[in-house]
Amino acid sequence: MGAWMRALASRIRAWLSPGEVDQEFEQEMETHLELLIEENLRQGMAPAEARRAARVRLGGITQLKETNRELRGLPVVEALGQDTRYALRMLRKNPGFTAVAVLTLALGIGANTAIFSVVYAVLLKPLPYPDSGQLFSVFQARPRAGIRGLGWSYPNFVDLRDQNHVFSAVAGNQNHQLTLTGRGEPSVVDTSVVTAEFFSVFGEAPLAGRIFTPEDGKPGAPAVVMLSEGLWRAKFGGDPSVIGSSIDLDKKPFTVVGVMPAQFRFPLLSKSEEVWIPLAQDPVFSNFMPFRQGHLLQVTGRLKPGVSVGQARAELDALAAQFAKEHPAENTGWETRILPLQSVLAWDVRSALWVLLGAVGLVLLIACANIVNLLLARATSRAKEIALRATLGAGRARIIRQLLTESAVLCLLGGGAGTALAYWGARGLSALLPPSMPRVNAIGIDKGVLLFALALCLFASCAVGLVPALFAATANLPKAIRAGAGRTGESAIGRRARSLFAAVQIALAAVLLMGAGLLLRSFSKLTDVNPGFDAQHVVRAEVSLPQAKYTAPRQWAAFCGEFLQRLQAEPGMEDSALVIPVPIVDRQVKLAFEIEGRPESSADATRQADFASVSPGYFRVMDVPLVAGRLFDAHDRMDSPRVTVISKALARIYFPRENPIGKQLRFGPPPGGDVVPHEIVGVAGDVRNVALGSDPGPMMYVPFSQSPFWGSEVVVRSSLGTASVVAAIRREVNSLDKDVPVSDVAEMAEIVDASVAEPRVRTFLLALFAGMALVLAASGIFGVISYSVACRTQEIGIRMALGASRGTILRMVSRETALLAFAGLALGIPAALAASRLLGHMLFSVGASDPATLAAVAFALVGVAALAGYAPVRRAMRVDPMVALRHE
Amino acid sequence: MDKPEILQGTLDLMVLKTLSVIGPLHGYGIARRIEQISEELAINQGTIYASLARLMLKGWIEGKWGTSENNRKAKFYYVTKTGHKQLKAEAENWERISRIMGRVLSLAERG
Repeated sequence: MGAWMRALASRIRAWLSPGEVDQEFEQEMETHLELLIEENLRQGMAPAEARRAARVRLGGITQLKETNRELRGLPVVEALGQDTRYALRMLRKNPGFTAVAVLTLALGIGANTAIFSVVYAVLLKPLPYPDSGQLFSVFQARPRAGIRGLGWSYPNFVDLRDQNHVFSAVAGNQNHQLTLTGRGEPSVVDTSVVTAEFFSVFGEAPLAGRIFTPEDGKPGAPAVVMLSEGLWRAKFGGDPSVIGSSIDLDKKPFTVVGVMPAQFRFPLLSKSEEVWIPLAQDPVFSNFMPFRQGHLLQVTGRLKPGVSVGQARAELDALAAQFAKEHPAENTGWETRILPLQSVLAWDVRSALWVLLGAVGLVLLIACANIVNLLLARATSRAKEIALRATLGAGRARIIRQLLTESAVLCLLGGGAGTALAYWGARGLSALLPPSMPRVNAIGIDKGVLLFALALCLFASCAVGLVPALFAATANLPKAIRAGAGRTGESAIGRRARSLFAAVQIALAAVLLMGAGLLLRSFSKLTDVNPGFDAQHVVRAEVSLPQAKYTAPRQWAAFCGEFLQRLQAEPGMEDSALVIPVPIVDRQVKLAFEIEGRPESSADATRQADFASVSPGYFRVMDVPLVAGRLFDAHDRMDSPRVTVISKALARIYFPRENPIGKQLRFGPPPGGDVVPHEIVGVAGDVRNVALGSDPGPMMYVPFSQSPFWGSEVVVRSSLGTASVVAAIRREVNSLDKDVPVSDVAEMAEIVDASVAEPRVRTFLLALFAGMALVLAASGIFGVISYSVACRTQEIGIRMALGASRGTILRMVSRETALLAFAGLALGIPAALAASRLLGHMLFSVGASDPATLAAVAFALVGVAALAGYAPVRRAMRVDPMVALRHE
Repeated sequence: MDKPEILQGTLDLMVLKTLSVIGPLHGYGIARRIEQISEELAINQGTIYASLARLMLKGWIEGKWGTSENNRKAKFYYVTKTGHKQLKAEAENWERISRIMGRVLSLAERG
C-alpha cells in the first residue's frame, strides 16, 4: 500500500506542478544526450555527426516529454480540468445565458439555504445542553377533555420523580418575575422557579459556586438563589465574592450560592438577566406546593442511557394509572405524554418552518426547470457541435460528461453566489423573525448549512444537467450533420420536453401561489378582525409590589388605588385603569364557575371562563362597550357585596333566553381563591383576549378593589406620547415607594401588532417565494414560446406568403401559450389543493380550498402566461415573409 | 498492487533487473547496459524513460538526483524493497510464460 500511496503522491505532485516535472525531465534528457554525444566523440565521430547520431539514438524529445507527462499525471483530473476550462469558455461566450442561469440558481439556492439556516437552528441543531438528545418534556394530558398537554402539580411531580425508573433526573420549573432591590434601581428579573433537581437534569456546571442540592428544595430551608452570568456581570460587576452574599428579591433576602454560565438558558427565550430559586422559596408558587390539583410545573427529564422512549412511555402510562388509583379525585382521566424537549420548544413554529422550506424547495425546482429549458434550447442549437465531437471520436459517455461538467460549473457558480446571498438572507431573517421564536440567535451560516448548500448544488447540477446531456448524447447524429449549415430545427421530442417543463413550472407556481394567496387572505382577515377593544393611544406598563413589604391584599388595593388617583391627576391622562391580566399580552387565567340555582356541572363539562380583575376605568380606557347593566364604580369595595361583569359570550352561552343581570355566579378569584357568589351587574362586549386569531370566549370581570394583586398592569389612554405617559407613571410610583419598579412598558397597538409577527413573517416569506415562482414561470413560458417562434420563423414566413393573415398567426402562436398555461393549471390545481391542506391550522377564517383564492391563482397564472407569451407573439406577427424565406 | 501482473513490456522487466543487479544508474547507463547485454537488441534509448516512469509510479523504483561521470546533473534510479519482491515474482512469471511459449512453439513446429 505504501508504494501505491507514493505513486499517487507523485502523480498529484506532477499534476500540481507540471512545469517542475517537465523541467526535471528535460534535465535528464539533456544529460542523456551529452553522454551519448561524448560516447560518439570517443568513437571518433565529428562533433556535428556525433550530435546528430545521439539525437537519433535517443528519439524525439517532444514526444518523449508528452509520454512522460501522460504517464505521470492524473488522467481523470486532467480531463475534468479540460472540461471545466471548456465549460468556462462556453459560459463566457454566452454572457447573457450565463448571467440569467447563474442569477436564477443563486436566488434559488440562496433562498433555500437561508430558510434552511432557520430550520436548522430552530428545529434540527441539538439544544445547547450536554447530551441534549436525552432531554424530554413530560406532560399531563386529559384526552377526553381535549387537553393535550399541561404541567404537573408539585405532589404529582414528587410521585413521578420518586417512582420512575427511566429518568436519571427529573425537574419541574415555572417562571415569573420578581423585583430585585438593593442594587441600584429596583429592577424586575426573570425568575425561574425550579425544583432542586433542575441543574442535574440539564447537566450544566456552574461558572462559580455550586448548584442546588436536594436540601435547598425542602420547605423551610434557607433561601438560596443562583444568578445568570448576565445578571452577575450587569449588577455585581462579575465579582466572585458575591457568592455567599445576600440579595433581595421582592424584599426577601436570598443567599447567592452559584452563577450559571451565559450559554445556559432555560427557558431558552428568557432575557439574559435571570435568576433561579427553589420552588419552596418562591413568594407566590410555594403557596401551591401542598395541592395535588393544578398543573403548575413544567417537567423535564433526562432519560437514563439505554432507556428507549418506548420504555419510558410504557412506564409513564403505568405510573399515570397508579396515580389515578391513589388520588382519584385529582388524577382520574389524566394520562402522561412524553416528547423530545427540542420538538416541544419549537412546537408552534415547526409546521410553518417545514412548509416554508417546502415552498422554497419548489422555487428551486422551478428555477432548475427554467435552466433545463435554456440548456435544452442550447443543446438543440449545439447539436452540430456535439455531432462533430462524436464524429471525431468522443464517446457518448465523454460527451455526457462534458455537458454535465458545464451544468455543474453553472450550478457551482450559482451556488457560490447563492451562499453569499444566503449569508445576508439569514441575517435578514433573524432580524425579521419574532423574538418569541426559540433559538433565533442560533441562526447563521454554519457547517451544517454549508453542507446543505453544497448538497443543493449537487442536486441542481444533476437536475439541470442530466436531461439536456442525455438528449444531446442520444440525438440522431448523422441527421444533425446532414442538416448542414442551416439552423437545425428543434426535434419534436425536444419541443415536447421543453413544453412539459414549462407546464410543470406553471403547476409548481400554482401550488406556491395558492399557499401564498391563502396565507395573505388569512392574514388580512386576522389583522382586520375586531379585537373588541381599541388599542390606539393606549400605553401599558407593569407595577409590581415587593411581597415581603406589601403582605396583605388590603395593602395592594390601597397602593394601587392611591397610585391610580395620583396618575389620573397628572395632566394629559385621558383615562387610566388597572387590569390583570392584559388581553393578548398576558397568559389568560381560566376559572371554573357555577351558576346559583342550577345543578353543579359534571367533572367532564366544567363551566369555565377567562377571568380579569379590573378597575372601573378599564372599559373606558380600552373602549370595551357596555351591553347591559352597569360597570364597576367606586362603591364596589373590598367590604361591599361581590359583583362581576360578564362578557357577551358568557351571557349568550349560559343565559341564552334570560336576562343575566342580577343572577349569581359562584367562583373563587384570587388572591384568596374562596368560592363566593358574585352578582352579575353588567354585560360587556366580547374581547379577543387570548389572541387575535382566537374567538372570544366567555369572560368574567371583577373589580380590582375586591380582587387585588400584589401589583398590576396599568393601562393609560392619552394623546401624549408614550415617553411622557411612562414618565408620569414612574413619577407617581416613585412618589409612593421608590423601591417599586415599573417594567414592560409598551404601546398596546404595538403589542397587538407584535402578536401577529409570526404569521406576518411566514405570509411575507411565502408571498415572496410565490412571487419568485411566478417570475421564473413567466420567464420559462417566455423562453419556450420565443424559442419556438424563432425556430418557426421560416414556417411563419411561408404561411404568410401563402396568405395567412396576422390573426391566423396570432391564433397559432397564442394557442401554444394557452396550451402550456392550461396544461400547467390542469397539473397545478389538484396539486395546489392537496398541498394547501398542509397549511390547515395556519389559516384563519379561510378554508384550505378557498374557491376565491383558487380562482385568483388560475386567473393570475393565465394572465402571466399571456403576458409572457405576448412579446414572442408580436414578433411572430411582424415576421416579414421575404426575410423569413431568405432566413437560413 | 496486490496481484502479480504481467509487466507491461519486457523492457520494464529488463530495466528493473538491470537496476537490481548494478544498483543506482541513470537513464543513459541503463540504456547502455541493456544494449551491451542484449547485444543484438537495438533500442530507441528514449523509450526506457517510459519504462522508468511506469516503474516509479508502481513504486518499484525510486530516483534521486546526483552527478554523472561527466559532471552533469543526472537522476539515479534504484530498486525499492517492493521492487525487489516484485522482480522475483515477475521473473518467475516471465520464465513460466517463456517455458509455455517455448512448448507451444515447438509443438507448432512439430505439427
